[in-house]
Amino acid sequence: MLETMRESFVTFRDHVAFVIQGVSHTYADLTRRIRAIQGLIEREAATEANIGIIANDDLETYASILAVWFAGKAMVPIAPTHPVDRNLSVLRQASLRVVLSSADGDLRSELHNASGAMFLLTTGLADIGELSAAQARDDDIAYILFTSGSTGTPKGVPISHRALRSFCEAFTALGVELDQNDRVLQMFDLTFDLSLMSYCVPLMCGASVYTVPPGVIKYTAIYSLLEEHNITCALMVPSILARLRPFFPEIKLDALKVSMFCGEALYADLITEWGTCAPKARIWNVYGPTEATIFCTAYECLRGAEWQLENGIISIGQPMVGVEVLVVNEGRLPVKHGDMGELCLGGRQLTLGYWQNPERDAVAFFEHAGQRWYRTGDLCRAAHDGNLMYCGRADQQVKIQGFRVELGEIEHRVRELTGLKHVAAVAVKDEAGELRIRLFLEGFSGALPAMLKELKTKLPAYMMPEKTTNLDVLPLNVNGKIDRPALVKVAANS
Amino acid sequence: MSKTPAEILLEVNVVFCEVLATPDVVLTDSTTANDVEGWDSLNHVRLIAAVEERFGVKFMLKEVMRFANVGDMCRLIYTKLGS
Repeated sequence: MLETMRESFVTFRDHVAFVIQGVSHTYADLTRRIRAIQGLIEREAATEANIGIIANDDLETYASILAVWFAGKAMVPIAPTHPVDRNLSVLRQASLRVVLSSADGDLRSELHNASGAMFLLTTGLADIGELSAAQARDDDIAYILFTSGSTGTPKGVPISHRALRSFCEAFTALGVELDQNDRVLQMFDLTFDLSLMSYCVPLMCGASVYTVPPGVIKYTAIYSLLEEHNITCALMVPSILARLRPFFPEIKLDALKVSMFCGEALYADLITEWGTCAPKARIWNVYGPTEATIFCTAYECLRGAEWQLENGIISIGQPMVGVEVLVVNEGRLPVKHGDMGELCLGGRQLTLGYWQNPERDAVAFFEHAGQRWYRTGDLCRAAHDGNLMYCGRADQQVKIQGFRVELGEIEHRVRELTGLKHVAAVAVKDEAGELRIRLFLEGFSGALPAMLKELKTKLPAYMMPEKTTNLDVLPLNVNGKIDRPALVKVAANS
Repeated sequence: MSKTPAEILLEVNVVFCEVLATPDVVLTDSTTANDVEGWDSLNHVRLIAAVEERFGVKFMLKEVMRFANVGDMCRLIYTKLGS
């Protein structure tokens, strides 16, 4: 993959590689930055295996990711918007001693003081010549991303260059042809693996990446890019469309030719309407956990065809090239075709296991028929034509704006802060059909605003409860456990 | 009688307090989403819809895209009510 990129950087040196906050950067600009940052890594961090990168929205950050790869090291993105405690947990778990940063801000000094890690500034570096062949090998780790963990600590998912390359090959095999004339939207936080599709795939073919600037109101910024820059390929989370829906009658995106959705359930009525907004686009629903590299199943919503649906939700399709799927029962044995079970994934895109977490590996991975499988926790069944239908979760994980959220992680943090025994976080659908988090406390006598303020320093914004309710006692089910369905009802009615 | 820009701002403030379910929101012309607790992407959609209903106006997506702050929204409401 890196060699294909390097060739593309030379062939398309005068093409625009990135448009970031309205400023265009050519492939030649990008290559110079990569080489300069690679030189910095070679001078200051030659012996490090993993390098942290503060994920800002600028050319230096993207060049840093590529420089880390060309230097044969693994990159670990750190979100400047996440709480310091969470970032420190990532620094510690990934043993990060060197972090690249394009800005000399408070976050840098705060993280440096607390962790002792060395921060290297990636701006103002001198050019040092041509980019040579990448030092990374197929089995080397390309990146480690940290996802929500039910025990309160985010867990690291290392992905190899082989898995990343396999994803790129599988993406191409879908028949989505991108070239140097394409303009690709990049709307994701760099700690979210969907971002990798949005910049790796275009950089391999000389296309241009348009990044969505950071900010609170994303859907208007996204539409602004789609419309004003005639974006041709966009991977988005469905909740963005739900927000644009009131404005669908005035939207016409004739340039959009590939429109993909991932990260949340995709509803057929929404996509039918979207089809008229993007009349020339091929529309896909894609699915996959971080553990199986970006996404690994795909379903094309062909125009004029009857789509495979369940309760109005579009199928997540079939495994991409190199990916294998298995639907199993609680005993980890394959279910009968058409029966519901837990979806397990195998094949080339699979992670080798969680980062230094054998206990978690033992739960999440197993061997079957001479192959390694990952238990996704997603319940699925295969339709008669082999397309997979998503049927919900086997545990308490939910998706908020596409982000994986373990409700247990929220509860763990709240228990730590309050000393309470009984707390419950539940996800309820709002009027637009989007999930929102509600928090229930049992017998909390402290100051709620102060507790929530403190909680904000522990959890990313998307994990914060929208509303918190203190009850004398939380309802229990017949087994003496917190009755979550009852709380969902209470939350929905309040 | 038509509303003054100051009256529009006050009414928009009331709508924000209702939608965000808090009496603590104090808006000025220069307020942005970064300044208001709970003014996230989803609540933005709710706020726009509630403001449209309150004033009996309809915003185009292109207009919403250009709102840099509360003042931009209030000025557009003023223009729309005037016409």
